[in-house]
Amino acid sequence: MGISSIGQISIIVHDQPRATAFYRDVLGLPLLFTAGNMAFFDCGGVRLMLGPASSPELDHPSSILYFRVPDINAAHRRLVELGVKIEAPPRLIAPMKTYDLWMVAFSDPDGNIMELMSEMPHA
Amino acid sequence: MNVQEDTTLSRIGQIAINAHDVDRATAFYRDVLGLPHLFRAGQLSFFDCGGVRLMLDKAEKPEFDHPSSILYFQVGDIRAAHKRLKEEGAKFEDEPHVIAQMPKYDLWMTFFRDSENNLLALMSEVPRPA
Repeated sequence: MGISSIGQISIIVHDQPRATAFYRDVLGLPLLFTAGNMAFFDCGGVRLMLGPASSPELDHPSSILYFRVPDINAAHRRLVELGVKIEAPPRLIAPMKTYDLWMVAFSDPDGNIMELMSEMPHA
Repeated sequence: MNVQEDTTLSRIGQIAINAHDVDRATAFYRDVLGLPHLFRAGQLSFFDCGGVRLMLDKAEKPEFDHPSSILYFQVGDIRAAHKRLKEEGAKFEDEPHVIAQMPKYDLWMTFFRDSENNLLALMSEVPRPA
């Protein structure tokens, strides 16, 4: 009866075709389906729902989502090549016991700030 | 040999949730939502939700101080979960209801507020009898 997982996250966008192209072609996420002015993506079992705000109160930027990538420097280079606005270059966020946590901040076309994250094992 | 760089965004590792009072929010996510608390680091409070980390944090700048995205939490029995969360003091905006009829199941949802007034939802896929 308890909460098992996050099934879906809503991201408010103001130009659905533009946002769909970004999440599909730049971030490379699988587009599940579109329904009216909403587009649904899969990210490792969590559904991202891109669409307009259903009320003015909900028309605010997204929570920061931290996407896991295996190679943060390669992923960062790819975003730069594709012209994505980088908010903060790859940087060490936290040295953990067995790995270093690295992150890169970027913006989607609606100005939502997102991050890439990667756990780099100690040599 | 041509080495293909792996730039795949494999999954979501973490979600940031703005809180105005991290202690109060920690109590809500732990005691009302029943999520496992991982650790606290200063003004940051981390929870696990089925392998995704939730990070409760005070916004660093006014421009970042906006409500969370709606997070839709999966539950097995949405009526039971709604009842329990309501008893624990969560403020619901509606009753559990069918939001979409899919080919094999009905998608049920109900919306509520956390202690920081972020809008969140419970969701459940209820198989339709054949």
